[in-house]
Amino acid sequence: MHFIAEGFKTALTLIFTFNRDVFDIVLFTLKVSFWGTFLSTLFGVPIGFLIAIKEFTGKAIIQTVLNALMALPTVVVGLTVYAFISRQGPLGEWGLLFTPSAVIIGQWILATPLICALTISATRSVDAKIGLTALTLGANIMQESIAILKEARFALLAAIIAGFGRVIAEVGAAMMLGGNIRGYTRTMTTAIALETSKGEFGFGLALGFILMAIALGINFIFTYFQRRK
Amino acid sequence: MDKRYFEVEQLIHLYNHIEVLNIPSLSFDKGKIYALVGPNGAGKTTLMLILSLLLKPTSGRVIYRGKEIMMENSKEMRGRITILFQDPALFNTSVQDNLEYGLKIQKKGSNERHKRAEECLEMVGLKGFNERRARELSSGEAQRVAIGRALAIRPEIFLLDEPTANVDEVNTKILEEIIQNLSKDQETTVIFSTHNHNQAFRLADEIITLMEGKIVPFTPENIFRGKSIRDGGDTWFDTGRIKVFIPTKGEAKAIYIDPRDILVSLTPLSSSARNCFEGNIEGVRANGDSVKLLVDAGEHLRVLITKKSFFEMGLNIGMRVYLTFKSSAVQVF
Repeated sequence: MHFIAEGFKTALTLIFTFNRDVFDIVLFTLKVSFWGTFLSTLFGVPIGFLIAIKEFTGKAIIQTVLNALMALPTVVVGLTVYAFISRQGPLGEWGLLFTPSAVIIGQWILATPLICALTISATRSVDAKIGLTALTLGANIMQESIAILKEARFALLAAIIAGFGRVIAEVGAAMMLGGNIRGYTRTMTTAIALETSKGEFGFGLALGFILMAIALGINFIFTYFQRRK
Repeated sequence: MDKRYFEVEQLIHLYNHIEVLNIPSLSFDKGKIYALVGPNGAGKTTLMLILSLLLKPTSGRVIYRGKEIMMENSKEMRGRITILFQDPALFNTSVQDNLEYGLKIQKKGSNERHKRAEECLEMVGLKGFNERRARELSSGEAQRVAIGRALAIRPEIFLLDEPTANVDEVNTKILEEIIQNLSKDQETTVIFSTHNHNQAFRLADEIITLMEGKIVPFTPENIFRGKSIRDGGDTWFDTGRIKVFIPTKGEAKAIYIDPRDILVSLTPLSSSARNCFEGNIEGVRANGDSVKLLVDAGEHLRVLITKKSFFEMGLNIGMRVYLTFKSSAVQVF
């Protein structure tokens, strides 16, 4: 019990004294997660929207694959990207391995299927007459699409938040692709794993508290937007 | 005034290889109101979708002011022709944003957008609703906002698919007034579909009847057009051939007499009924337990009597009979 109590005490001290190491890791994590989610949104939303509104052969298969990819193990993503960007890989000469960019690529691949699948259901939940109504009021195809997406805005925001929640909490891809380099590619999750194994339980716990607070905050926002849709 | 400025020619539409619409020719004049009637599945909505350029017909032409509208150049026509669906969808924003949507598409400035939105809200009787959330309105109010939104873009042709099917009596009246004013004040051509023949007669300049995708002549029973005449305390309706005593003192454009409300006799009846006409039986048709007579009494009146009465009176084609009905049996439009 003493060990846990000490850990709690250290963790709270680190948080409330705004320990530089702790908050550098938090800021880095937020930064890479933001860019990872941003890229996933850039790809996932338009692709999901097109899948939802277009009819084509193989649509059902694509959706099944997307649903399966939503539960893609993070280490598998890490492994796959590693194969491409490691020194011997086809993109090895770009020197991406163990850089923040590598972490962002991994997170991008992780969150895209999730955002894509949630965009499909968000678009489908919009009344089919919305697009037609926009057309009857003089809209072109692009304006019609925007009207549909605007109608699904709360559900889309929820999809993006869910994507952010997925990447900020993952450890496998960040560890394998970022290499957990202090002050360079160390994220909250990789730091927690390392510090705890080193016996720095308080440090790990401090990051754990912050991660939990972020995760809870995200879930509150997610629920809020889910309800508003 | 532009005449016949909107028309369709050789219109055929197939759905799953089955012909659902076949209209050799149909034209609409500027500023007139047209009612599209017919049973479910007659092709009303399909025709409305084609006229609103939302559906490409299998074959045939849609022509505006003599120029064929192709799907490729239909974009410029959108905004001139608009449609209101039976259960219209409002954007999940404020009423004001809904009203301004089409105007934003047309790239109108914010002052004009605001002004037109105000005008249209007033037109549909929802002044002051600007900031209300569209999704929180009643179905009747939502219908009126949808009409206001369509009117804001000032369409030349306004199609309404069963606009009063899902609204209460009060809102129906308001919607009917809007439709009439549109044609009168703004010379908008209004084409609406309805199941309500009474409504079609009250509002429309012309009624188009669709049956299994084809236009059929509208032959309603005992509906007569004409005008009402005040004579002292009484009001008559003059069809041009007969004068019918009617219960209302107001203006009337048409009357309807239910064939079941007309009494047939071989001699004039002495009763309180104010309308009595003498005429010749021109047609007899069995109709289940009843018999339908076609009597020429100046106008051709259809009368429905029981088989028993028919045989008791020994009625037959060419016989002279008296038709009697109360003024309260006359429905006035």
